[in-house]
Amino acid sequence: MAAIAPAVADAPIREVQLEALVVMRIIKHSTTAFPTPATGCLVGMDVGAQLQITNCFPFPAAVPEAGSAAANNNPADPYHHADQAALALAAPRAKSNASYAAEMLKFLKEVNVDAQGVGWYMSCSMGNFVSQAFVENQAFYQRATDERTVALVFDVGRSSQGSVHVKAYRLSASFMAALKENKFSAESIQKSNLRYQDILLEIPLRIHNSHLLTTLLHTLPTPPPKAPLDFPAALSELHANPALAANPLAPNLDALDLSIDPFLEKSTDLMLESIEAHITEQNNASYYQRSLAREQAKIKTWQEKRKGENALRAQQKLAPLAEDEWQKLFKLPVEPSRLEAMLVGRQVEQYARQVDGFNAVVTGKMFGVRGNLVLERELA
Amino acid sequence: MSRFFHGDSSSESSSDEEELYSGNEAEPKAEAESSEESSDEDDDDDDSDSSDEDGAKGTGASRFLRDDSDESEEEDEDKVTVVKSAKDKRFDELEGIIRLIENAEKISDWGAINDHYDRMNRQLPTLQRDLDGKAPKMYIKTIAELETQVTEAFEKQKVTPKKMNPIAAKGLTALRQKIKKINREYTADLEAYRKDPEEFMKEEIVEDTAPAPKKTKSKLLQAEQALDANDDGFTMVGAGGKAMIYTPESILKHLRSIVESRGRKNTDRLEQIKIMERLLDVSVTDYQRVRVLITLIATRFDLTSGTGSQMSQEQWKLAQEGIAQLLGILEQEPGIVVIEGAEEWEDDEKQPVVGQDDLVKVPGSVVSFVERLDDELTRVLQSIDPHTAEYVERLQDEGSLYIDLVRAQLYAENLKGNAKLEASQENINRVVMRRLEHLYFKPSTVVNTLEENTWKAVPENLDSKVSPRSVGHDVQDLVQVLAVYLFNNAEGILRGRAMLCQIYFLALHDQYYKARDMMLMSHLQDTISTFDVNTQVLFNRTLTQVGLCAFRAGLVYECQTALQDICGSQRQKELLAQGLQIQRYSQITPEQERLERQRQLPFHMHINLELLECVYLTCSMLLEIPTLAQAGSSPDLKKRVISKSYRRMLEYHERQIFTGPPENTRDHVMQASKALAAGEWKKAADFITYIKIWDLLPKAAEIKAMLEQQIQEEGLRTYLFTYAPFYDTLAVSNLADMFDLKEQKVTALVSKMIHHEELAAALDQVNGAIIFRKGVELSRLQSLALTMADKAQNLIESNERVLEQRTQGTSNAFERQPQRGRGGGRGGRGGRGGAGQFRGRGGGSGFTGGALGSAIRAQ
Repeated sequence: MAAIAPAVADAPIREVQLEALVVMRIIKHSTTAFPTPATGCLVGMDVGAQLQITNCFPFPAAVPEAGSAAANNNPADPYHHADQAALALAAPRAKSNASYAAEMLKFLKEVNVDAQGVGWYMSCSMGNFVSQAFVENQAFYQRATDERTVALVFDVGRSSQGSVHVKAYRLSASFMAALKENKFSAESIQKSNLRYQDILLEIPLRIHNSHLLTTLLHTLPTPPPKAPLDFPAALSELHANPALAANPLAPNLDALDLSIDPFLEKSTDLMLESIEAHITEQNNASYYQRSLAREQAKIKTWQEKRKGENALRAQQKLAPLAEDEWQKLFKLPVEPSRLEAMLVGRQVEQYARQVDGFNAVVTGKMFGVRGNLVLERELA
Repeated sequence: MSRFFHGDSSSESSSDEEELYSGNEAEPKAEAESSEESSDEDDDDDDSDSSDEDGAKGTGASRFLRDDSDESEEEDEDKVTVVKSAKDKRFDELEGIIRLIENAEKISDWGAINDHYDRMNRQLPTLQRDLDGKAPKMYIKTIAELETQVTEAFEKQKVTPKKMNPIAAKGLTALRQKIKKINREYTADLEAYRKDPEEFMKEEIVEDTAPAPKKTKSKLLQAEQALDANDDGFTMVGAGGKAMIYTPESILKHLRSIVESRGRKNTDRLEQIKIMERLLDVSVTDYQRVRVLITLIATRFDLTSGTGSQMSQEQWKLAQEGIAQLLGILEQEPGIVVIEGAEEWEDDEKQPVVGQDDLVKVPGSVVSFVERLDDELTRVLQSIDPHTAEYVERLQDEGSLYIDLVRAQLYAENLKGNAKLEASQENINRVVMRRLEHLYFKPSTVVNTLEENTWKAVPENLDSKVSPRSVGHDVQDLVQVLAVYLFNNAEGILRGRAMLCQIYFLALHDQYYKARDMMLMSHLQDTISTFDVNTQVLFNRTLTQVGLCAFRAGLVYECQTALQDICGSQRQKELLAQGLQIQRYSQITPEQERLERQRQLPFHMHINLELLECVYLTCSMLLEIPTLAQAGSSPDLKKRVISKSYRRMLEYHERQIFTGPPENTRDHVMQASKALAAGEWKKAADFITYIKIWDLLPKAAEIKAMLEQQIQEEGLRTYLFTYAPFYDTLAVSNLADMFDLKEQKVTALVSKMIHHEELAAALDQVNGAIIFRKGVELSRLQSLALTMADKAQNLIESNERVLEQRTQGTSNAFERQPQRGRGGGRGGRGGRGGAGQFRGRGGGSGFTGGALGSAIRAQ
């Protein structure tokens, strides 16, 4: 989590500190809800540039309100249910949940725990979280409160392969500005120099265990080694010996898992999906380009024709006809929003980084395995 | 072979019989007859009605039938219970209207009369058609009476102060104007009627009761008259009551006046035709006849110069006979030459003398006439419903047209042979092309009969250098000779067309390899887009026919590829010019639609579309089902689509929840596909052979057997593709049993599959088994990665295309990338070339260049 974008400088939050309790709760909620994404509210407080998240509670899935625009259901088809994932993702900004969150915060205050909403969390699988809903949720939070919120993304898919995967994100200021105006035309994007890399800011995250918890961990009974240990040759060996390590949960053998294919398959699948979406967007854009060109050609011929007419009328000493009538006669096609394309770009980047990171780890493992094999053969 | 050919051949042969019958007697007496016939019309003005009876006997047996129906119609008027023809019904209707008009007259209900009058006029065109352009008697009578009534009523109304009721008054004025306008057209008839109403009405009855004696009598009489006319002029009263004198000396003068009025408005062409027919009678010399005939034929064609109208059969026949007569004269009198670009004979008083050494040249073109005749017949055939007897009737005229074509060809050759004339080669080419176009789509038996009859009709002493009499016996040779002649002598489009016609003919006669080789050697597929639309249509037809030929020969793959372009699109009808296809979102102007309509082929030339679709789908099935099985569930499934339209249909079929028994061809093929995919070859074969349309092909049984065998083989392949992963070994004998094939055949098929690396297996010849190897297929990750690489590739390409589009290929668009800084308009190509290099390097390592690649590296 070394990559801190320079834009963070003007943002007040530089670091997120996550309580172990929150992590456990998110894991539980997310894994039970899997494969539909789970969402919930984060509570905590901000201390200077650090945001401390001390507790959280889940959101119920958004209930589509009858007749409201937010409701996803189709009026023509009362039996149609919006799909679960979309409903769950819509939860953080749903109206019903706003009052629910307020109520929860009130109760939390009563039991005297931190009761300041500092953001929301969601679960995803293999990093497929960059979507319009995600952006809208975070924008809703960043807009509603005084800019002290983060979005935590918990990756169920990757967490199942060993280490916990949680990331904290905020929307960049430039993206927020663009989103406020809801202008994602090619021109405005070019002007604001907004790129897909600039949508999200990742904030470094630290998991914090309370002292109580640390003590608890240390009291966990570990079976003593069966065989008699060798005497350590040096003091440093005491620290290095896993059998004597202070950390009771280490060593974690899950980290040595060598199943490469499932991860890559899944990533590739998702990547293909994204590329597919990108191609759709690209087609939309090029369709727009073509129809625009066609329309402009029409307008041009019309203008020339009108000019010719006017020249003729001038000769005949008649009043010229208006030359800006084309605005009424022709309608230029509406430019499609580039937002989706940008998000797809960001999503692909996400996958690519994931694979990249995965490769780094796996390559190491593979070398280890190879070294082992070579050694055995040589011995044989 | 299609359904239409069956219909065609029968109609063709029947037309030939007709030809045998009428051609024999028509030819010798053509001249005498036509002179008689036109002298018949001399007394048309006195009794305008008799012409249709007299004209009828000139044109052969069919006319007598018409007479009969006329008679029966008259008789039917009394007894209503008798079954009536449509024509009689129309007459009854007319009578009913007239009665209504008369009733309304009695009570002076002018509004009603006006309505009825309009109705009557609307009916008139059909009635006139039945009577060969003459208005029915009772119609004349009614309008005459109406006119007097109306004028009377109008006068009365002026005098009497009492007002008429407004509706009636309105009706009256409207009627008066209409009558004025319409009656002008029938002045002659009306006058005749006014002169002697009794006589006018009576005539037809008299004729009908005793047509035979009168005819012979009048024939004799007219023959005499014609003789007289030749001697010392012939005085008669013209339509305007002006005395018109037609003498052999004044012929050219009359002709000149007619020619000058040509193309002007308000010229009564029918009137001119009548005059010219008379002129033809009085003409003495061949020169005069030739001159008159040329103008006469041209005027006949002028009758229907509009795009919407077609020549009536009568006029067409007359034009055809005129051309035959003209050719006859020209064949007998070598001193007169009809040629384009000849000088007009300016001196009307003096006529050129034939017989000296120098030839008399007459401006005109026989070939153009014949071509026009051909075009007119095509237009008529386009407009007639092909399922009526009328169509067949008109189609029979093709025989006589073909004779004219051949004779015109002979004449054109003759002209060309004359060194003094410098006749153009083009004429021969054109007429030979026409002839070829009448032959290429017909089965050889039909062509044989056609040729035989034609040569019988052509005078004995004539023979062709291009296609001598002897060649006519072997149709293959004939087509070959004609096509080769055109290929040697013509250029441009005609050459291409000749080639296509020959290929079509070869394909039609099951000479696939020859047709295919010619098709490929012609290289027409490269240039066909520059040709005119009709030639493109011919190309499409030829391609289709080659495909069908391949199918008959059992070459499924070749058939599918040949038919792909035509059947794969949704516009078969348009591509083959076999009917208009209304496209939902098309922006076709009426003008375009009209042109499209003109291009349509007459029905007897059609290729059966249903058969075509059936063949195409069956071939697609035989190719697609194994491919689908081979692709399995791999992600590049979509890539290897052989026939898009077939895939679409299959998908649609699979989406259906309930599938009933197959109803049409498509259903049959789809259900067969399903059975084949499941390895049930027997069921699939049953489905396919149940299709009724195979019966239209010659040797249907052989084709069905061929199909069955193909289904067995493809079924075996499909089975192996689908179930190979579940087997370790498989006995060849088992497979042979399963698909009812010989063991050698199974071994051959399996070996082929192994060789093409379609099947990861080995043949154990000792035990007669196939041993499958495992783990050879790509893993899912591998295939995904391959797909991914492809997609990324496409993405880069399309990105660069977009960039190119945005920058309009300006030079600085690609300057950022020094490795392909070719600049300028070639930027785009450079981009694509770069993308090509990636492919060369293969798969994953290709992301080093291109816009996307550099973007990734920038991270």
